[in-house]
Amino acid sequence: MVTRDRLVNAAMELFASKGIANTTTADVAKSVRMSHGTVFLHFPTRDDLVIAVIDEFGRRLAAEFRQAFEQDLGLRAVLQAHLRVLAQIEPFYARLVTEAPLLPPKVRSTLMLLHAAVSYELFVALERERKAGRARKIERPLLFNTWIGLVHHYLVNRDVFATGNSVIAEQGDILVNHFMALVKS
Amino acid sequence: MAEKCPACGSCGMPLEKPEDYALGDATRPYCRYCTDARGELLSYEQVLETNARFYVESQGVTPAAASAMARAMLADMPAWRGRN
Repeated sequence: MVTRDRLVNAAMELFASKGIANTTTADVAKSVRMSHGTVFLHFPTRDDLVIAVIDEFGRRLAAEFRQAFEQDLGLRAVLQAHLRVLAQIEPFYARLVTEAPLLPPKVRSTLMLLHAAVSYELFVALERERKAGRARKIERPLLFNTWIGLVHHYLVNRDVFATGNSVIAEQGDILVNHFMALVKS
Repeated sequence: MAEKCPACGSCGMPLEKPEDYALGDATRPYCRYCTDARGELLSYEQVLETNARFYVESQGVTPAAASAMARAMLADMPAWRGRN
């Protein structure tokens, strides 16, 4: 694995276990036994590392969404694709959304830009369902905010909604079914 | 881990397909949204407005918050770096 990827993976794990604001680039360097200078070369600040992890999440999401879109699999498949990628990085993502309002503007803006992309995918999928008579009309911001509000609530409080390590694995299907029932025409 | 694909030097949008680029020309540094009909980069204010609108339309945030977020995103972009 190349150095950059090792650093991104190590950062994701540390952010998840210690919290984002509590992790320094020196902590990341130590965990992969590299010099602080090497980390600085790739990621001058912690924010650069957080953004790199969010970007990696974005790339995985884009790949999943492309497949759901090209095969016209419907809104349910888009919701499932979203949860599938979230499940891969669940401990990190839960920390990210918990700390988001306190994070530097650039990090928060990057996360909300990713939300914008998810919002677009949900809306396009909903409109397709609506034209097929299977869903009702919902404005784009509220469509997205209803979904993300639901998912984030379970993620932020994952310790009380799951008995094991993944709230998405345990509750994901229930959330998807509930949301599909809400948008039904 | 996926390789990072080229991104627009103005807004950071991933440039995956030729049609993502200005004039559909993959040798150009900016995306089709940040450029005019001749492929020239739009003004900072125009790019800022387009990017801010993206946040408003997708999530319903206030125009002021959207503008601040777009400003934060553009601050480190090659096209706008060093701008006050």
